[in-house]
Amino acid sequence: MTVTSSGRERLSVADLDLEVVRQGAGRPLLLLHGFQTVAPDAPFLDLLGRHAEIIAPSHPGFGDSPRPADFETVYDLVHLYLELLETLRHETVSLMGLSFGGWLAAEIAVKAGARIDRLVLVDALGIKISDPETPDILDVFNAHPREVVRASWHAPKKWAPRYDDMPDDQLVRVARARDALCLYGWHPYMHNPRLRRWLGRIRRPALVVWGASDGVVKPSYGEAYSKLIPGSRFALIPGAGHHPEIEQPRAFADCVGAFLDE
Amino acid sequence: MDVWFHNEITYPFVPQDVLDRADSVRGSLPNRYCDPRVAAELFEECLDEFLLCDEVGLNVVAIEHHAGINSLLGANPLLLGILARQTRKARVLSLGTLISLRPDPVRVAEEYATADVISRGRLEIGFVKSGGSEMASNQANPINNVERYWEAIDLVTKALAHRDGPFSWEGKHFTHRHVNIWPPPYQQPHPRMWAATGDPDTVAEVGRRGMVNVMVLRGADGAKRAWAAYRRAREEAALPKVGLDHFGYAALVYVGDTHEEGVRIGEKLLWFLNTSLKSAPQYSRFLPGATPPEAAPAVYRSQPRPAPPAGDGNGKRVVSAFTNAATLIGVTAEQAMQRGILFAGSPDTLYRQIVDFHDTVGGFGHLVMVGRSGFLTHAEAERGIKLFAKEVLPRLREIAPVPVS
Repeated sequence: MTVTSSGRERLSVADLDLEVVRQGAGRPLLLLHGFQTVAPDAPFLDLLGRHAEIIAPSHPGFGDSPRPADFETVYDLVHLYLELLETLRHETVSLMGLSFGGWLAAEIAVKAGARIDRLVLVDALGIKISDPETPDILDVFNAHPREVVRASWHAPKKWAPRYDDMPDDQLVRVARARDALCLYGWHPYMHNPRLRRWLGRIRRPALVVWGASDGVVKPSYGEAYSKLIPGSRFALIPGAGHHPEIEQPRAFADCVGAFLDE
Repeated sequence: MDVWFHNEITYPFVPQDVLDRADSVRGSLPNRYCDPRVAAELFEECLDEFLLCDEVGLNVVAIEHHAGINSLLGANPLLLGILARQTRKARVLSLGTLISLRPDPVRVAEEYATADVISRGRLEIGFVKSGGSEMASNQANPINNVERYWEAIDLVTKALAHRDGPFSWEGKHFTHRHVNIWPPPYQQPHPRMWAATGDPDTVAEVGRRGMVNVMVLRGADGAKRAWAAYRRAREEAALPKVGLDHFGYAALVYVGDTHEEGVRIGEKLLWFLNTSLKSAPQYSRFLPGATPPEAAPAVYRSQPRPAPPAGDGNGKRVVSAFTNAATLIGVTAEQAMQRGILFAGSPDTLYRQIVDFHDTVGGFGHLVMVGRSGFLTHAEAERGIKLFAKEVLPRLREIAPVPVS
């Protein structure tokens, strides 16, 4: 494993050379990111790193992780991370997914329960709850960018990324992430119609965490998600939108850390 | 040179303040702003214009766009069916069913074969890559749009040409296990195929396939660049050279009795650029896949910093449809005429403009004339068609497509 100046390292899985952020020490926590990769200097990493050794790879097509031409679906992502679980030296690993990564985490937990110690879903996508005319998940591709910003943050003025101020390489990462997300999540939009039926297979301790002001996927969706996972707990983080780990890093780390320490 | 009359059947009757307030005049503008009674009048007029073209010796084009003031032609095959039956001499170019948006290319092949039979072999099949708001309107993933485009064309071509009972297609994007269309097309093995695209990579593939490449409102530089890519691709693949009948150019065209009148009325066609191209950022600069991620610094910022031009790795400049559209909004008549986007004038001055442009780009065999748009009236369109057919068409026909030396 090589450490680069960006704070990102490399991790080889299933013939893929992934960019990865590592932080903290203790029991391993595989962290699957959402619409954007995890920033190595994100304060929540430091706080949560006191409870676990965080391993946060960038999905193929995101950040600096290459995406082979025939790697195009959530099916591919799920199997990549199943492979990663098998290559880790630990018998069991805790799994946390943010947003889009929460969808992946739920899929993985359904398939590989024996390898999962604890499961944390944060403002997760992945299932269909409401009637056909009610979109559960904001269409981040077809909605106006300012609507996406408004829905994503409790305090958009403070947190929404400002493209005008970003360095070039950061903008390229943003665009790469948008393209990859579109490829993986366009249709059925950000969910697997079959996943809901199988969530009952998750028999490990599970925590569903939600930003109270999330307008991308509303807290009611999170509550419904939680009810479909036997014995799971639901926790709201006040003052946070779709990214509670960014808007409320301390409350978030306290909540998740306590769960991991149980 | 062959000439093809093209009319998007625009809907310019939405109040300007509504258009000014809207983020986008396509894709998301509520259809309550489209009065079906007014639309019926428009179709009546525009179909009559197509029939007039048939009478006076012009070919006709049926296009497709979805959900916006820029066109009421969301269902290309319906117009195609009408033109196939009601015209008698004109060749009918579908440009085209937006192929990468349709879930089943075999159905498209059936529609095309039927139109070709009804017209007794007067159909020409054009493919358009589509983009922007069409992706939202049709739930088509913009990221692999080009892949679907080529696979769909392969399947349509095979379905049209196959005569030996059911065949199976299990491709990456399309599966159809039992393909056997009735009737087969009138023209054997299938009608001539066209593609409207301006980006050099796609044009290169169009060239290898020997399709007609039509450049829409791209100006002389865009046409020269694309057709050089077409010819280079054929040469690199050791394929024979093609004649100028493999190249077409689409522009806004109007002819009046005097130069002044031609320009004054022709200027109305700019509505298509100045008003109907307005598109929300999610359909344009933030559309996934529209530009390579490396171009993001120039695309994502509201005030782009000077950045090296986006390249495709081979040093070729890539001009996306979005980038091209951005340069067309707000164009004046004078600029449009200078760039070869608008040809307008008296029969003599119009002819001169077209010939000059033809010579500048190294020649082309098809002129696609956008002859009605926006507030240009039915009466003006019909006058233009008649005058063009009488005074300009005979002279353009004398420009024979010659093999490329």
